[in-house]
Amino acid sequence: MTMLSAAIERASTDPARRLGRFRLLASGIAGRSLDVMPAAPGERPWTDGMTVFLDDGASAPGQVAALAVQASLIAAGSLEPGVARRLAGRPTLARRYLAVEGHRALAANEDLLPRPVRSLIDRHTAARADSPAASLALALRRAVVADPPPSFGVIIPGRLLAPSDRRQALSAPEAGPGRWRDSVRREHDEDAETDGPGHVPAFFSSPGAGGGALAWLLRRVLRLGREPAGGPLGAATSATTRPAPRAGWAPPATGAARTLAGIPAAERHGSTYPEWDVNRGRYRLNWCTVNEIDPRPEDGVTLVVPDEPALRRPLARLGLGLDRCHRRLQGDDVDIDAAVESRVDALAGALHDDAVYVESLRRRRDLAVLLLLDISGSSAESAGEGQTVHERQRAAAAMLALALHGLGDRVALYGFYSQGRSAVRLVRVKSFNDDLDTLVMRRLGGLVPGGYTRLGAAIRHGAFMAEDRGGTSRRLLVVLSDGLAYDHGYEGRYGEADSRRALAESRRRGTGCLCLGFGAGADLVPLRRVFGTAAHATVARPDQLASVIGPLFRAALQSAGRMA
Amino acid sequence: MTRTARPYYVPVGNEEQVFKAAFRQGLSVMLKGPTGCGKTRFVEAMAHDLGRPLITVACHDDVTTADLVGRFLLRGGDTEWVDGPLTRAVRDGAICYLDEVVEARQDTTVVLHPLADHRRQLPIDRLGITLDAAPGFCLVVSYNPGYQSVLKDLKDSTRQRMIAIELGFPPADVEEKILVHETGIGQETAAQLVQLGRAIRRAEAAGLREVASTRVLIAAGRLAAGGLPPRDAARAAVAGPLTDDPLVTAGLIEMIDVYLADGRG
Repeated sequence: MTMLSAAIERASTDPARRLGRFRLLASGIAGRSLDVMPAAPGERPWTDGMTVFLDDGASAPGQVAALAVQASLIAAGSLEPGVARRLAGRPTLARRYLAVEGHRALAANEDLLPRPVRSLIDRHTAARADSPAASLALALRRAVVADPPPSFGVIIPGRLLAPSDRRQALSAPEAGPGRWRDSVRREHDEDAETDGPGHVPAFFSSPGAGGGALAWLLRRVLRLGREPAGGPLGAATSATTRPAPRAGWAPPATGAARTLAGIPAAERHGSTYPEWDVNRGRYRLNWCTVNEIDPRPEDGVTLVVPDEPALRRPLARLGLGLDRCHRRLQGDDVDIDAAVESRVDALAGALHDDAVYVESLRRRRDLAVLLLLDISGSSAESAGEGQTVHERQRAAAAMLALALHGLGDRVALYGFYSQGRSAVRLVRVKSFNDDLDTLVMRRLGGLVPGGYTRLGAAIRHGAFMAEDRGGTSRRLLVVLSDGLAYDHGYEGRYGEADSRRALAESRRRGTGCLCLGFGAGADLVPLRRVFGTAAHATVARPDQLASVIGPLFRAALQSAGRMA
Repeated sequence: MTRTARPYYVPVGNEEQVFKAAFRQGLSVMLKGPTGCGKTRFVEAMAHDLGRPLITVACHDDVTTADLVGRFLLRGGDTEWVDGPLTRAVRDGAICYLDEVVEARQDTTVVLHPLADHRRQLPIDRLGITLDAAPGFCLVVSYNPGYQSVLKDLKDSTRQRMIAIELGFPPADVEEKILVHETGIGQETAAQLVQLGRAIRRAEAAGLREVASTRVLIAAGRLAAGGLPPRDAARAAVAGPLTDDPLVTAGLIEMIDVYLADGRG
């Protein structure tokens, strides 16, 4: 199986996927998460500090060599902003710098380099500098004449800098660090938080900044507990995972953030939530308003859903709590009543029963599931066979609700859509305490797709409801969605980052999350990126759910409370 | 107990001195470290050095107090008490090693409290007695901070009754030595495997359940010693166990091919 997946990735027709297989290697050499993407045709290998861009047409050894050089430059601190500013707008200098610094970085990283790459190191050159600054000094003195080997690729200083940084560097290359900081601060203060579809920072619209940039940032920020030592971030966030209730909602990046505990219960019908702004690396507080609304049941047609016994089987063994069971054949304690009876029976000459122990068994249902049904406009599209995506999702939601309800789990079902950040709506089909009756099916049948998807806010409110009203120690949030649609000021990578953040918050607080998709055609890659491949599945038809639901639910329950 | 060869353990820091000092002072020990870094092997070597029997309990989330302390069984008309592993260790003065103690339910770990602090006593409610630990008894728990979470964490009251020894993956030269000793492969292959393992540890991709431990590297080395080409050995012993995600698997295989020599060529 392992052989197979490698062969599939190597033979993939999608260049991004073909090169994506080098992502782990790049991260291993650089010592931090890096993405690998194809470079534009004719471009030499380069990096923006978060993604390494390789020539897709080059041979595999050539790609590995270029990757090792670029990743080593990152690991050795050769591309720090201070250096990049000095190199900006001076391609010849950048080339000379790479000719020295490339060798120095490789040599510094040598014990991590694959053997074939080590032969690239020119030890004589590497020995001439002991730091990026020394290499830069050599390059400035024109003490290096030879060009770097072609396999080194190039340094593109302009793409290493944040946009404000870049402008500053180009207008005044010799600006001191003090001036630069001032200008950044000014820009930060003036830049009011705008919310409009046109507001896309230049950094993210640049062709270079690939998906890896964001993914890297997120992984960096969200990663917890893996590193024994823990960076400053790890240290700060692990404090919030302590069992202090509700503290987890306080965004780690901003100490003064509001917590959910601060929202009075009476205001629940209009709760506000923060949103993660990946461009600034902090939360926007009180950014989204979520309303719970009731649909008009008279509009609905009662949905007839076939009961799916196959669906119950994988779900039956999930979410069981401990119970003390009497009259067992083995157990922790003697069941006194049973023992006395058994003894009396034995002395009376009757057949006696050996089941005289009390045993702790997992039998009690201890699971609350909140189903979030995406009813944004995009789900009205056809999924083939005369059905819309919405109809399939709706049927799946109903089947899951029936199966879980039948097993004795706590189930709630809400539809969600949004129209801008102030109007994120969760439509109540079934709350945790509603009975699963025809009224619920009529409300479900009456849902009409419309609006957009602000996934992060919906997840945050869903996780809150599961935690607040679920009443069990195991909780799951199941999102049924066809793709990561957008909302005003919530598109592309921004929305992905916020949704991922919301999922991590929820998992850290003990609510597992997963996503189910239906039908083909939708862009599933972002959804996979947001939920992780282990917590996302796509099936063609709702009746195929039974085959995927077991492992998916189990993994989601396990990931709750443990950082995914 | 018959004297056998000392389990192979290469100290990295002062962990052996710390452990032995704690043992002599009757303190309980908490071993922290990622899975497969040598915690169990370390305890085995210490038990051997100190000449104490070792009783190991692998904890899981259904371990109850009775599983550790003991329970009554009915035999005919009489009840018969059967000691649990912890009680046996307390009576015999053995080293009791609770592996992955966080996995056990929290009410279970509370029974360790009087045993882990200065009292060194094990109260057995069901018998109505309190046992004093025999000389030589030592409580050792292992704990993987990588699994630390809201749901599963050691209570502070438990943690503070123990001294902690942190174990990590050994440095490259030590790890190579371990691989050569444990598997019998050549120095060159061992060096390549260690390099691969270190690169994977640095990568820490989102889809990896765990990083490549010394244990999986040893498994790969043993497959190689058993006649498999190194790349195939690493695929089976490293890539397969670490992830189920096809994308991450492909990434791992790329790393294996880059770091390990092609055994056929």
